[in-house]
Amino acid sequence: MIQTPIDSGGRQTSVVWYRNIRVLRAVTQVVAVIAVVGLVWWLLNNLVNNLNRQNINTDFGFLNRPTQFQIPYDEGFNPRSSVWAMVLVGVKNTFLAGIFGIILASLLGLIVGISRLSSNWLVARIAAVYVETLRNIPPLVVIIFFGFALFTFGPFPVITEADQYSFFGSEHNWLILSNTVWGVPSLIAEEGAGLLWVGVVVGLVAAGLVARWRTRVFDRTGRPHHRLSFALGTFLVVAFVGYLIAGDAYSMSWPALAASGRRIGGGLRLNWGFISVTVALGLYTASHIAEIIRGSILAVPKGQSEAANAIALSAFQRYRFVVLPQALRVAVPPVINQYLNLLKNTSLGVAVAYAEITNLTLTSIGNGRPAPQSIVVLMGVYLAFSLTISFMLNVYNRRIQLVEH
Amino acid sequence: MMRIKRFAVMLLGLALVAAACGDDDGGGNLLADVLDRGTLLCGVNEAQPGFGTVDAAGNFEGFDVEFCRVVAAGILGNADAVEYVSLTTGERFTALQSGEIDVLIRNTTWTATRDGQEGATFLFTTFYDGQGLMVPASTGFTSLEDLADANICVLQATTTELNLTAVFNARGIPFNPVGFADNTQLRPAYEEGQCEAWTADASGLAGWKATIEGEGGEEQRILPDIISKEPLGPVVRDGDTAWAQAVEWSVMATVQAWEFGIDSMNVVGFASDDPNVINFLGGLDPALGLPTDFVVQIISQVGNYEEIYNRHIPQIGIPLEGTPNELWTNGGLMYAPPYR
Repeated sequence: MIQTPIDSGGRQTSVVWYRNIRVLRAVTQVVAVIAVVGLVWWLLNNLVNNLNRQNINTDFGFLNRPTQFQIPYDEGFNPRSSVWAMVLVGVKNTFLAGIFGIILASLLGLIVGISRLSSNWLVARIAAVYVETLRNIPPLVVIIFFGFALFTFGPFPVITEADQYSFFGSEHNWLILSNTVWGVPSLIAEEGAGLLWVGVVVGLVAAGLVARWRTRVFDRTGRPHHRLSFALGTFLVVAFVGYLIAGDAYSMSWPALAASGRRIGGGLRLNWGFISVTVALGLYTASHIAEIIRGSILAVPKGQSEAANAIALSAFQRYRFVVLPQALRVAVPPVINQYLNLLKNTSLGVAVAYAEITNLTLTSIGNGRPAPQSIVVLMGVYLAFSLTISFMLNVYNRRIQLVEH
Repeated sequence: MMRIKRFAVMLLGLALVAAACGDDDGGGNLLADVLDRGTLLCGVNEAQPGFGTVDAAGNFEGFDVEFCRVVAAGILGNADAVEYVSLTTGERFTALQSGEIDVLIRNTTWTATRDGQEGATFLFTTFYDGQGLMVPASTGFTSLEDLADANICVLQATTTELNLTAVFNARGIPFNPVGFADNTQLRPAYEEGQCEAWTADASGLAGWKATIEGEGGEEQRILPDIISKEPLGPVVRDGDTAWAQAVEWSVMATVQAWEFGIDSMNVVGFASDDPNVINFLGGLDPALGLPTDFVVQIISQVGNYEEIYNRHIPQIGIPLEGTPNELWTNGGLMYAPPYR
């Protein structure tokens, strides 16, 4: 409320413009905007001037020029492909390391977090040692440790003398282990694959319908719905029928050493950079997630556990039905944070020659691509990843949050 | 009212800082800046035996490091007035472009793309080299074709990386290049067998062969194929011709001195009737911005090209005779323009 000043004679006076609070606020905001915009413009102008003085171009045309270098452990990549293709390969590699790291970190973090609260002294201590060790080591050191300990100085032989394992008396190799690349079997889609996926989708729809029917039966008559079993059974039947109709949907591709003995052909090839980064970041982030889970379990009121014990629930039932549902609600936002950290920490894969997006961007900058534009593209990639993960998990969070009415 | 006053003071402070930082004079007077500063910022390698290494006391030494001292002796009159900045292959050109270093003397190859895209100007070639491959002798490889499907260790952001791809693709040999950020990570991977071959400039490989075998490692063999031309020399930024010429004439003075037979022993009081020698040793000021006696300073404090070479390169296994780095009168490529 702006009060008009009253002078000693009781008359209202008007305020000088340079003391009028509204004018001052407006002017300050205008000046602030000009200052910020001016600063940013000046910085960009400086950058462009300096680049032009040295004849370095400032547009994004470099994305269409050939990459000129080969991506390690990616035989299919043609060095004459454009830089944009290289960026896509980097995005794919970062995504793969990120998703498998996230899965490993979540499962391990949950287990270790719960173990730390176990009444079994040995289990609790082992979990505590694990958390305290890994949480206090920088992630780069963990990655280098796994890269060196597992592979460079590790127990696996050189590729020419790789260990080949076969199970169940099969004549194919199931597992090839060496200190640069591992081979595991994979599936190759044949012609019938499309039909099989149609069958899977139909099966899922049918399972959903059956689950809804069983729920209605339960509501009407009170008989146990067993909807999970019914849905699962329906899905399996429909999918199996789809598989029979489709015929040759997928065939197995077995890893085998190529003729030269220095490469694995066939199967799924996991290179040592990928394994080091995924395992190292999975274990590192799991230690953080374990602490988050432990904190969130301790945040559930003790009365809940006591009530669960009072109605004779076993420890597993207590966790599954009472404690964890309440604890995980609290844990979701910090865990989202850890997932984002894991994804950004994959950029440390440079140390173990893993061809993720930061590594490829730095290599291309070193080979003559303009640095500012390449870094802008790199930042855009990480921003896209982070925003996607945050968005998905925030949607989930909003659904499971307890809303105070 | 207080809040607005504080805010205004903050904005004023920001404006003052911005004014103080901004000094975009358009470039072109790095020579004056270096003379003002009194030290030369030189970008070097710290992990390349023979060219740039760090000894136990933390001092830089090597063929390229000596040329940093040559430039400092010529421009500043003091060979020790150098601040060495150790750079990896990935950051060397960014450091040059941003002004973090004045000159880059780090076994860097002169290519057209670097001239054009990196905003760099390459100066007199101090070392004519070529790219080679090194393999452990136990593998028995003798030619490139033996390396089909091999993992080959290479440094990222080097011409060797691109040459390797080009040459192997041209010959249709499949291979897998494993790129590392620097030699300290590459060497364990190579020695433990994660790559079957190591590719770099032949001089670099000779240095690593000497080091690995000298430390008791496996015997190494450098394959006879030289798969590219690698002229190595100092690099400066585009857009400053005066600086480039000052650096270049300082470097070329070492070769000219070698041709005249002047070395660090006899330069002081070197007597000659040849007017070219008299001019060279200080009788001429060509207005390059260098002090008149810069040649005497360079040769007395550091040495001529032959002395610099013999202090570092034969120790890694490449003697001067018979290589392209010999003086032009002996059949090599070292030819300095006349100081006239």
